[in-house]
Amino acid sequence: MALSNEAYEALQAIVGERNVTRDPAILDGYALQMLVELVRPNCGHYMPRAGAIVMPGSTEEVQAIVKAANKYNFGVKPHGTGWYHWASPMYDPGTRYGDEKDTVQLDMRRMNSIEIDEKNGIAIVGPYVIHAQLHAEAIKRGWSCNIIGAGSSCSVVAAACAYSGIGAGTMWMGGNAENVLGMEWVTPSGEIVRNGSLGSGDGWFCGEGPGPSVRGIMRGTLGSRGGMGVYTKCAVRLAHWPGSTDWNVQGTVPAYRLPLDKTFRVYTVAVPTWDAWTDLYYKIYDNEIGYTLHRQYNLAGAELAPAFWLMYTDPTKQLSDLPAMLDEPGMAELTEEMRISLQIVMAGRSEADAELQDKVLDKILEEVGGWKVEKYCTQDMAEFTNMYMNRLGHKEINYVYAGNYIGSWMQAGTPDWVKGYIPVAAAGYERDYRNGLLVQAGGDSMMGTVGAYPGGGIMGLEQFVSYDGADHESTAAAWYHMDDAVEDAKTINYPPGKEALYIEMRYTDEQAFDKWSKSKQPWTYVFQREIRKRYDPNYVGDRQYNWIPEEWERGEKHASTPIMPGPGRPQPAPEGYPTI
Amino acid sequence: MALEDYRADAMRCNRCSYCKWIPQDRIKSWEFAKGCPSVDYRHFHAYSGGGRLVAGLSLTDGRSEITDELIDVVFECTLCGSCDVSCKVCRYDMHPLSGAKEFRHYLVDKGAVPAAYPGIIAKLRDTGNMAGAPQAKRADWAEGMGIKKLGVDTDKAEVLFHAGCLYSFNPALRNVVQSSARVLAKGGLDFAIDGDERCCGGKAYDMGYRDDFAAAAKANLEKWAAAGVKTVVSPCATCFWTFKRLYPTVAGDDYGIEILHTTQVADRLIKEGKLKPTKRVPMKVTYQDPCHLGRQGEDYVPWHGEEKKIFGQAVVYDPPRPRYNGAFGVYEPPRDVLKAIPGVELVEMERNKEAAWCCGGGGAVPQAYPDFADFTASKRLDEAQSTGAEAIATACSSCNRILGNAKAADGGTMKAIDVLELLEQSL
Ligand SMILES: Cc1cc2nc3c(=O)[nH]c(=O)nc-3n(C[C@H](O)[C@H](O)[C@H](O)COP(=O)(O)OP(=O)(O)OC[C@H]3O[C@@H](n4cnc5c(N)ncnc54)[C@H](O)[C@@H]3O)c2cc1C
Ligand code: SF4
Ligand code: SF4
Repeated sequence: MALSNEAYEALQAIVGERNVTRDPAILDGYALQMLVELVRPNCGHYMPRAGAIVMPGSTEEVQAIVKAANKYNFGVKPHGTGWYHWASPMYDPGTRYGDEKDTVQLDMRRMNSIEIDEKNGIAIVGPYVIHAQLHAEAIKRGWSCNIIGAGSSCSVVAAACAYSGIGAGTMWMGGNAENVLGMEWVTPSGEIVRNGSLGSGDGWFCGEGPGPSVRGIMRGTLGSRGGMGVYTKCAVRLAHWPGSTDWNVQGTVPAYRLPLDKTFRVYTVAVPTWDAWTDLYYKIYDNEIGYTLHRQYNLAGAELAPAFWLMYTDPTKQLSDLPAMLDEPGMAELTEEMRISLQIVMAGRSEADAELQDKVLDKILEEVGGWKVEKYCTQDMAEFTNMYMNRLGHKEINYVYAGNYIGSWMQAGTPDWVKGYIPVAAAGYERDYRNGLLVQAGGDSMMGTVGAYPGGGIMGLEQFVSYDGADHESTAAAWYHMDDAVEDAKTINYPPGKEALYIEMRYTDEQAFDKWSKSKQPWTYVFQREIRKRYDPNYVGDRQYNWIPEEWERGEKHASTPIMPGPGRPQPAPEGYPTI
Repeated sequence: MALEDYRADAMRCNRCSYCKWIPQDRIKSWEFAKGCPSVDYRHFHAYSGGGRLVAGLSLTDGRSEITDELIDVVFECTLCGSCDVSCKVCRYDMHPLSGAKEFRHYLVDKGAVPAAYPGIIAKLRDTGNMAGAPQAKRADWAEGMGIKKLGVDTDKAEVLFHAGCLYSFNPALRNVVQSSARVLAKGGLDFAIDGDERCCGGKAYDMGYRDDFAAAAKANLEKWAAAGVKTVVSPCATCFWTFKRLYPTVAGDDYGIEILHTTQVADRLIKEGKLKPTKRVPMKVTYQDPCHLGRQGEDYVPWHGEEKKIFGQAVVYDPPRPRYNGAFGVYEPPRDVLKAIPGVELVEMERNKEAAWCCGGGGAVPQAYPDFADFTASKRLDEAQSTGAEAIATACSSCNRILGNAKAADGGTMKAIDVLELLEQSL
């Protein structure tokens, strides 16, 4: 149902004419999203287009917009920086929402206040404060913050309250979801709820009380992904920063350096086998070393990464120099040396602590048969890694090869469990890139955090599969790579990985149910149904807040619309097709 | 290139929004994290480097049409290039700034431009300058200074001093151009000016009027050839950039003319001992990197190539394409001049060099969107004030004019002064 003029005028009255638009070209700026071509019919480039974009300036304006949505029957979808297609409205045509519902996207840009309680290490941020801003303000005061793996350009509120929240610093600093110390929430029916200690008027210091703890409601399983109201503010816990309060950035684009304080150590370490790799992880957890840890550089692919980062850190070089660099003397040896490696930044509370951590790491490496990769531990590379890992300001490099990538696999679990899928994931990627339609970066282009929970224990590796979204054939190859990855996982009895989340987007909710109903539904979806009934009776939120209707639980099927048309499957590589 | 040629960029843009900020690593505070004046002013994604690419995709896909709002999207941008620098921190295959310029050209072709533009272009066509001032007054600023004039005192000049339209006709800026010329002469530089100097055409290019730019370029190139000009020196960053980066596209790969900014020449003369700043000029100054001198002031590298793929799908260019990512802009010469002046204390703004915030004067914005220009300048003044500087030194006519007239958020103003004006005080 198209947004009525009456509804549009109501929005104008709430936020002012300047802060609302329905110009199609501007709307499309919100419809184009990363990975869009893998989840839209025929690899199209646009998510469903909103009926209008609105920029609220305050919690009260958000509340008024949501109330208008209930009155005029449109949907509301909040949008942080929009670095994921979850920020686009998803309503199923002809399903339980009635007709395709027009949605208003709320671009939260104008709500970007930041307040830091320096004494208590708490930051209170509006929805458009990005991690880099919070990090910068925190560093000045001797604090730091967990920056999610998507990097410093993402909204803190989105990462803390609406989706995931894991990053390279999570093992030390906690995930963003755990770090929430209170939040302000405009529910889909237009109430304002303040949770944790804030709800009882005691300020922002505890997310669970005294006062209402509605964290579970707001987070849901992976996060409510904009389907359950709008978070207008939240408080997050900061982490201690034992480095200089002067963010002493050096050098120029693209690869800035951060000199190491005396309390810091930065290494790229490697091990000979995946068994040694799991031991390395467990020993890091047990000994509680490491400030930020990531298997980071391997995103460029085990065959290309060693040369890639040497190219990247030289401002006179570019991607086209990479083939020649691969042939440089010593590069083949370096590639072998770093095949199974990770990056670690250690921060001591004192110089003595840093020295101790150094000794502990050396001992661990000795025990697991590992080593420091000398070429990547020079002062220059250490300074680059120090910057990269502490700020996570280069995440767009995930897209460096061809502008798009799909992160497949990424099933999270213990290192031993993750180890179980690595060879299968690598072989599947190699098989799928043989025809040259995906970037050939070496079978293992797996990257991921060392610890996804405080203290470690759980982690995951994501396979970086780059494709060219401007090339239909290449996009089609990525489309089918996702299906193949699910099939590959089945062969070793692993559940589907991250790709399943995207594949699900190609289905209506009904189709997804038909497909997944063969497996047990998580109880969370049942709880979330009840939550939805209470807080969103008019379906103001979209289907990204997962829940299952009662009929589904009884196994009753719904009339299905045809599954989203995909591209034709690309031809497999002919026998003997050359790869790197 | 055509707008269609940027469709691949749009499809390869994944909406990371880096183009809205200074490079992420350089962010040191909440306030001065912002890099794009356009999106900071209008907020909608379309007003960012990436957003404009998508708007172009949408238009060429037939999903949207040219509207008044779209005209604003395309022209309410200072073309400062901050988006381009930040995007290229991680990407070798994206060109948001040239995409934005192409969009303007596309709309000019369709006759869809801001209301102010046709009048400005008509003036350029009538008078040969952007101000629409009588061309006879072009060299008035040099009267009585004893500077050689091409066509009057001499027919030949190896070194040509090009003042630029704003410096030539704006009385408030006259002292800058005069100082610049005096300083260079004092350093022993033998140069002439053109009494009938014509607009460089850079502004017309930025406005999207490529034919007018090409006409201006051809006229100047012919004159320079006839006069045997080997080096052109300009105190205006936009003229410098136009001659350096745009003229070779008209002249061809054997362009061969050395283009220098006055700060580069002064720096050279100081380092060669030909200029000796000795008098104390006790002043705390900060420096505004002009976009056309700084991040867009990198050397032109001829390139005629095409996209190709390696490792299956990785996008590169054959031969390698110049990056123009701001790494090698003209940043140090003006700073070195300032540092050479006894008594001058240079204090940097947080956003400097490749991460500098635009003054608001670029992209023909003051002419079409004066409120936006004022907003941008005001933000810059806030930052300049935060350094505790008394004055803001710069090296561009647009920066000088707009910052000199701007008001900070607290209503405060600041003296804008050219680097060479300051240098002259110390000689
Ligand atoms: C390359 C890449 C790598 C990633 N890696 C990681 C990772 O390692 N760890 C991790 O945690 N995440 C990761 N993500 C996911 C992504 O970072 C998160 O979705 C993050 O929250 C994005 O921030 P954003 O500001 O762009 O949010 P958006 O994309 O704008 O929004 C994310 C979701 O939150 C909702 N939302 C946003 N703001 C609000 C609000 N104020 N109220 C209610 N709902 C809101 C949106 O509707 C949307 O569903 C990755 C994403 C990308 C693109
Ligand atoms: S233009 Fe570049 S920086 Fe901007 S969103 Fe697109 S990829 Fe990111
Ligand atoms: S050129 Fe400058 S004003 Fe224009 S979009 Fe890029 S950063 Fe923004």
